[in-house]
Amino acid sequence: MDRNTVVRVIIPAIIVLFALISVLILTGFASGNPDGFEWSLFEWAGITEPEGGFGGIFAFLGEGPLVDVVTGGIGIVLILIIAYLFFRFTSRRTE
Amino acid sequence: MHVPDGVLPFWVYILFLIISLPVLGFAVRNVNRRFDDRLTPYMGVLAAVIFAAQFVNFPVPPASGHLVGTTLLAVMLGPWAAMVIMALVLFVQALYGDGGLIAFGLNFFNMGILGAIFGWGIALVLFKGLTRIQDEKISVLIATAIAAFVTTLGTAFILGLELLTIPGLSFEFVYIITGIHGFIALGEAILTFAILLYFVKAKPKLIAFLKDSDTGKALGVKMSATPIVTIEEGT
Repeated sequence: MDRNTVVRVIIPAIIVLFALISVLILTGFASGNPDGFEWSLFEWAGITEPEGGFGGIFAFLGEGPLVDVVTGGIGIVLILIIAYLFFRFTSRRTE
Repeated sequence: MHVPDGVLPFWVYILFLIISLPVLGFAVRNVNRRFDDRLTPYMGVLAAVIFAAQFVNFPVPPASGHLVGTTLLAVMLGPWAAMVIMALVLFVQALYGDGGLIAFGLNFFNMGILGAIFGWGIALVLFKGLTRIQDEKISVLIATAIAAFVTTLGTAFILGLELLTIPGLSFEFVYIITGIHGFIALGEAILTFAILLYFVKAKPKLIAFLKDSDTGKALGVKMSATPIVTIEEGT
């Protein structure tokens, strides 16, 4: 990745996404994980939510808007790095 | 639309892992054949955009929904790259507890494979029809929004059928989950339109459907100049 791409694409994208997701989480518009859509229907159908399961790697931090902002920000950077590395190694090299 | 672990019978999760993982391998191979490393920063950014966008719920009383984004990705990068991006997003979400790790195959089948294939196919057919009467930028926006709506609704119906494997669930559940997803699909269409509008204005070269597109060239797809889709191997 050349320096221009980092400066023009990656850094602004991270900043904008982080700012956006922070505002949305703190103003209460972001979803809880997992979102409640299926559960509300299951409850309607008389099926109880299964116990426990994998609560996520950040479950130890507890819940709250601030935790969501921090973990959301980490997630954005994490997926960007994973996706970049993944595509970097699975794409053809420029001739 | 994320199904967690422990809801469906275990054999359903395994079945969908067996179906989905080879498709993911095929998608990775296609990305390797057709994309070069100049496009990788954009793919990384798009993965982050979709991951962030899926955080945001819009209310559909008594429930809520969020953007899936597969149709958007398929129109921008083609179905194979869309599948790979969705696989990465779903995997990281599963690490966060949103959707399950064992349910990854099922969630990837619904949101990755079905979303990419149907979204791409429907958008392509509509786009070709609309370009006869409209500017290609307007055509891609309308075609993608409609495709996103139809695909979300169709995927919800399939999800409803999958959930029928839960003992005691009646077919009425399928109607209800599909019906509520009608409103969620509307949100998907609006958000897809808005995000794609940004890319149409800011970076149209990233949209595979538009002529002179970098990703379109990578895919070997000629869209608006001629209604014929050609795949040029080794380009």
